[in-house]
Amino acid sequence: MQEPTLLMKKPLVRYSQKSVLVIEDFAEFARSLRGMMITMGSKKIDLVYNGEDAVQACKEKKYDIILSDYNLGDGKDGQQILEELISFKVLKTNSVFIMVTAENTTAMVMGALEYQPDSYLTKPFNGHILKSRLDKAIYKKDLLAPIARLERKKSWNEALEQCDLIIAENPKFKMACLRHKYVCYKALKRYDKALELTTKIVNERPIPWAMLGVGEIFFAKKEYERAIEIFNDMILEFPMVLEGYDWLAKVQYLLGRPVEAQQTLAKAVERSPKALKRQKLLGEIAEENEDIETMTSAFRQAVKFGANSAFASPDEFIKLTKSIGRQLKGNSDVDRQKLMDEAESVFSKLDNRFKNNPSVQFRSAVAHADFSSISNDEKKVDKYLSTANRLYDRIEEHMGSSESIEISESLKQLGQQELAECILEEAVEQYFDDPEFIKKAAKLTTNKNLIENSKKANQMNNKAIKFFSAKDYTQAADYFGKATQIAPNNVNINLNHVQTLLKNYQSGEKNKALLEKAESILSGITRLPFDDPRYERYSELSRLTQLILQSL
Amino acid sequence: MNKDNNNLFSIILASTVHDMKNSLGMMLDALNSILAELPVSQQGPGNTQYGIVQYESSRVNNSLMQLLALYKIENNQLPFNPSYHHLYDFIEEQILEHSPLLDAKGFSYKIDIDESLEVVFDEALLAMVISNIIGNAIRYAHSEILLTAEIDDGVTINICDDGPGYPAQMIELSGNYIQGINQSTGSTGLGLFFAQKIAIMHRHGNKTGHVELANGGPLGGGVFKITLP
Repeated sequence: MQEPTLLMKKPLVRYSQKSVLVIEDFAEFARSLRGMMITMGSKKIDLVYNGEDAVQACKEKKYDIILSDYNLGDGKDGQQILEELISFKVLKTNSVFIMVTAENTTAMVMGALEYQPDSYLTKPFNGHILKSRLDKAIYKKDLLAPIARLERKKSWNEALEQCDLIIAENPKFKMACLRHKYVCYKALKRYDKALELTTKIVNERPIPWAMLGVGEIFFAKKEYERAIEIFNDMILEFPMVLEGYDWLAKVQYLLGRPVEAQQTLAKAVERSPKALKRQKLLGEIAEENEDIETMTSAFRQAVKFGANSAFASPDEFIKLTKSIGRQLKGNSDVDRQKLMDEAESVFSKLDNRFKNNPSVQFRSAVAHADFSSISNDEKKVDKYLSTANRLYDRIEEHMGSSESIEISESLKQLGQQELAECILEEAVEQYFDDPEFIKKAAKLTTNKNLIENSKKANQMNNKAIKFFSAKDYTQAADYFGKATQIAPNNVNINLNHVQTLLKNYQSGEKNKALLEKAESILSGITRLPFDDPRYERYSELSRLTQLILQSL
Repeated sequence: MNKDNNNLFSIILASTVHDMKNSLGMMLDALNSILAELPVSQQGPGNTQYGIVQYESSRVNNSLMQLLALYKIENNQLPFNPSYHHLYDFIEEQILEHSPLLDAKGFSYKIDIDESLEVVFDEALLAMVISNIIGNAIRYAHSEILLTAEIDDGVTINICDDGPGYPAQMIELSGNYIQGINQSTGSTGLGLFFAQKIAIMHRHGNKTGHVELANGGPLGGGVFKITLP
């Protein structure tokens, strides 16, 4: 037999050294995939049959190659697995993820652009094709891994240099490198460079990531009308790339056109109902537009598709029951019993899913009492209020700003003035620098001092920030100290204070007392949950403080 | 049919195709394991029957996919996702899909395309077109297949074989491949009709893709040309 000419001259991939994870619920096909990998020389092959096991396996072991079926029955699908692996940062920068699909990939809605697998393979395929795909994906991934590593470290300038280096040596991957360059420019806020790069590509050929890039940069430069124009074009050109709708809705909302934003999101949801985040956003905007039917259906979908997702939150459950409550209040020709049953089942799903989290249990009990008052079930109202009062003392973490408003609103309506004020007080201390929150809190509280004090703390905080910007760290620390006297538990101010003390130490005055003060403030922050947006800053400052202290 | 009926039919069609594809995959896997149990002398290149089963399954698979895609085109449900792809890698993969048959028949192939060439097309859709045409070329070729590309206003991919060439009446259809189907010539008609449909979906500026057939070419047999702007 003649050897096929011109087979790829790529470096040989040593599959015997690569660890492989096969995710496939269909035992026969899993076996066949494994057989193909063994033929290629693989020795370390693990098999799992569902998404939950897959994510767990990847947390325990860093795989080089992951072959995942897209459709895995009732559990997580392949796309959800990939999104979780990327979000939890459990993949290596050169791990290769291949999505195996039954149908042609064009016919299914692609995942978000930032969560794309390295390759799609359509069943059925033979071992030659699998090998060819893997060879290419591994080669490309290994080649681009240095960029990915620098990006992970946020070393954008070095990453840019690396991109140019790779383009010079391997023009074949120019387009992939340009995409990385765009990411770096955007991160560095070098918008003109980013715009120049993407515009050039789009002018030659409109392709989704570059077109999206042009729009995002117009957005970042606050040229909203031009951004809208691009995103509109994008939807016409690539109706299946759903980020186009997301961005368009975002701009429309920002420009005070919530009805248009809702329509845009509804179009995206129609194409791909499975996206949890988008459904939640649609529900929230519909709530603002007083479109209770859309609100209900969006949160209903969010709860449904969140069942298999690591990104599910209590929000969609609570909002679903709220919207059902509003339907019961407003409309007489709805099937009341059916809606009430649905709400009860949502509460029990919520309580079950977050059973180890007292603040969620508390929030659920308050919402449950609120709902029971709408359905005129006094017994249940009393029952859930007493549950709520009992749970309140067990909450150890700070509650979020919108949760606090939601809970105190319900409590006030249920006549629980005292508990409502407690919650408002804590929340105002935490979030006084958020004007939207303060507006809402001021409407709810009867305690005039609360808002007055928060204004004072905010003034101190703002003064301190001004001094900080002017690099007068001693004065800044002084004012942050004053602000914490009014709001001792406010995480933001405490973190600002710490950052100022560290700056003060680093920029000259090498006084150890500054560091000790910082350490003591940090040790006072004990109620910050891991998923709080402020947590990353907290842990970064803690790390920095320890680093400097150890170097003494 | 109203929109709901269309959707319903589309779902039924898709899930049936999905199901049949799974069956095909299972059959091929079963065949693979039977082959693996045979003595080495009966495996591999000599085993023409295996190549035929592979080839015919991939033909059935391809036709199913084309049917589904055509149905979706008619109902404006077929998404179109053009992006940059390396043409060499893409073409090589379409060849590899047929490697069991190529091996079985002892055919050789050559890809004469610049490896660094990046071209914009919808990968999944063009894969169906090219794979199908390569399958046909192998069917009619004597012993050789050649794949080349020309860059001019866009890219033209040529699939050449050393067989008897296309019948004159097919070449004359030039674009009207729907008529080819009516002549009960089997898969060639559907394949070309589909190729034409997919080519037309590829647009750039005011240019549209197209398909052309010729005879002669570098290997003296049939030449299939698809141009994407």
